[in-house]
Amino acid sequence: MFVTKFVRHGLFANAIRETSDVCKLLPRRLASTAPQVEVFHVQDTKDFDERVKNSKVPVIVDFFATWCNPCRMLTPRIESVIAERKGEVILAKVDIDEHTDLALDYDIGSVPVLIAMKNGKVEDKLIGLQDTDKLRKFVDKVVKSK
Amino acid sequence: MAPVQAGSHGYDYDLVVIGGGSGGLAAAKEAVSLGKKVAVLDFVDPSPRGTTWGLGGTCVNVGCIPKKLFHQAALLGESLHDAACFGWNIPERKSITLDWPKLRESVQNHIKSVNWVLRVELRDKKVEYINARGSLIDAHTVHAKLKNGTERELKTDHVLLAMGGRPIYPDIPGALENCITSDDIFSLPEAPGKTLVIGAGYIGLECAGFLNEFGMDATVMVRSTVLRGFDQQMAGLITEEMKSRGVKFLHKTVPVRMEKQADGKIKVTWKSVENNSESSDLFDTVLMATGRRPLTLEVKADQVGVKLHPDSKKVVCDRELTNIPNIFAVGDILEGKPELTPVAIQAGKLLAQRLYNNGKIEMDYDNVATTVFTPLEYGCCGLSEEEAIRRHGEDNIEVYHAFYKPTEFFVPQRSPARCYMKVVCLRAAPQKILGMHYIGPQGGEVIQGYAAAIKMGLTMEALMDTVGIHPTVSEEFTRLWITKRSGIDPTPQSCCS
Repeated sequence: MFVTKFVRHGLFANAIRETSDVCKLLPRRLASTAPQVEVFHVQDTKDFDERVKNSKVPVIVDFFATWCNPCRMLTPRIESVIAERKGEVILAKVDIDEHTDLALDYDIGSVPVLIAMKNGKVEDKLIGLQDTDKLRKFVDKVVKSK
Repeated sequence: MAPVQAGSHGYDYDLVVIGGGSGGLAAAKEAVSLGKKVAVLDFVDPSPRGTTWGLGGTCVNVGCIPKKLFHQAALLGESLHDAACFGWNIPERKSITLDWPKLRESVQNHIKSVNWVLRVELRDKKVEYINARGSLIDAHTVHAKLKNGTERELKTDHVLLAMGGRPIYPDIPGALENCITSDDIFSLPEAPGKTLVIGAGYIGLECAGFLNEFGMDATVMVRSTVLRGFDQQMAGLITEEMKSRGVKFLHKTVPVRMEKQADGKIKVTWKSVENNSESSDLFDTVLMATGRRPLTLEVKADQVGVKLHPDSKKVVCDRELTNIPNIFAVGDILEGKPELTPVAIQAGKLLAQRLYNNGKIEMDYDNVATTVFTPLEYGCCGLSEEEAIRRHGEDNIEVYHAFYKPTEFFVPQRSPARCYMKVVCLRAAPQKILGMHYIGPQGGEVIQGYAAAIKMGLTMEALMDTVGIHPTVSEEFTRLWITKRSGIDPTPQSCCS
């Protein structure tokens, strides 16, 4: 399984420590630079329909689990990339244990998974932990696509 | 892929499984792989303390998996102390403490990830999963009450009962209000503190074992027998070992009542079964481990005529088939069968193969190896010495035995006093092996391979002819030569000769 492979690795243990500091700083930075909410947690299927499927701007959906360390490491990276786009794209977070049916509907297996959605349609999908460059390309692609 | 259609029997499903534990899931996945339409109903009633959990049954959530991880935490603690003797700079023993909330969180996170993986597996394999309490209306109709209150009726050709069991709360004043069970221990928010474990089966001993290693005060209350059903010489050694590590035992005693004190502690009063004299003490936690009961009445198995054992309420079964021709059963609910996850899995798979693929292989419930994960483990396979004598007569049985010293025990000066093994075999050549018993480090790892050998008819001659791997603990089995009958001292005289 993808998840456990990463967690046990000594190198990544350090990375977790590093990123957790970033996590703490991030909300403040987001709040000061972004006039609108760029990141939100999906509450239920109705919420997902309204704020993700019917969104006017592209949405990156982050399917994550609280028990998944790579998910925790991905969070600050994807949030900073989203923040760079200043409202052109938003981030929706889905806890797969809370919203299992939703996750299964989108064929989620291993986590983390990022799905790029535009006009209610899935444009792209990225499975596993990614570096910031790759995330930037992934987000750019959906922002620029027609 | 087009949805799978049920067979031509006219029911909506080929198989409805009640219970999403090891046995039920194994059978469901196997049946689906053979092209059958299958639904699994899974539902967990909260424990009296309010603990609940996800898909996967006892083993994944409140059994083998968290137990093994807590055991591992205990072993690591012990290794830390050993490590100092091997040159590692380790802080003072007193300053090494266990962070219980951290352990609990790590273990619970692992369990949640397994719950998820199982759920995804069901989707990928196209097993219909219904988070609902199932019960039988008739032999072909299963009633499902979903979590949100809606109800469904599922018409099915076959039914598989795989509900498993839950811990028993004996009818003792204050027990239900004040005790926890193995359902709760692995998710307690705070360390249990001074704990009384009532019951000396493997669950009770394992819990007392890891709590004691974590530095908590642990007492085991024993009504009559420690590790009933296991070899009693080995059970005695395990008891001695645990005592030497600091676990207290209250032999021949039963609880009388439990009262919550103003400070939150629980006052437990017990009496001697020999002279009825009463004693009492205060505990932070009382863990009830006096046995488990099958969830057969919950699914109304009795009401559709499934034959249950009058006392245990377990299903009386032959080759996993109940007395009703289309209702089957696997796992912990079977009367007279071992309550072990791999047994349930194997039985479930083989049953599906027989039902849907003309399979001919039947589950072999004999010679199943198992391990008691007390701090010093006890692994065994086959018959106990008592049972071998009962079946074959003392004159026809030979027992080879030895105490041994694991190499890694010398440097930290750990006591090898209870490192012991024995092989129970027929006396006549080539001395077919009936049972193997091992107490020591890595009991589960040691005994598993021998289980395969026993299944193939291992003899003492063949075992003695086997060359060991030096220096291991498992090799000690190949070095056995002293019989109990000879009266020779089985304690080791030297190290490597």
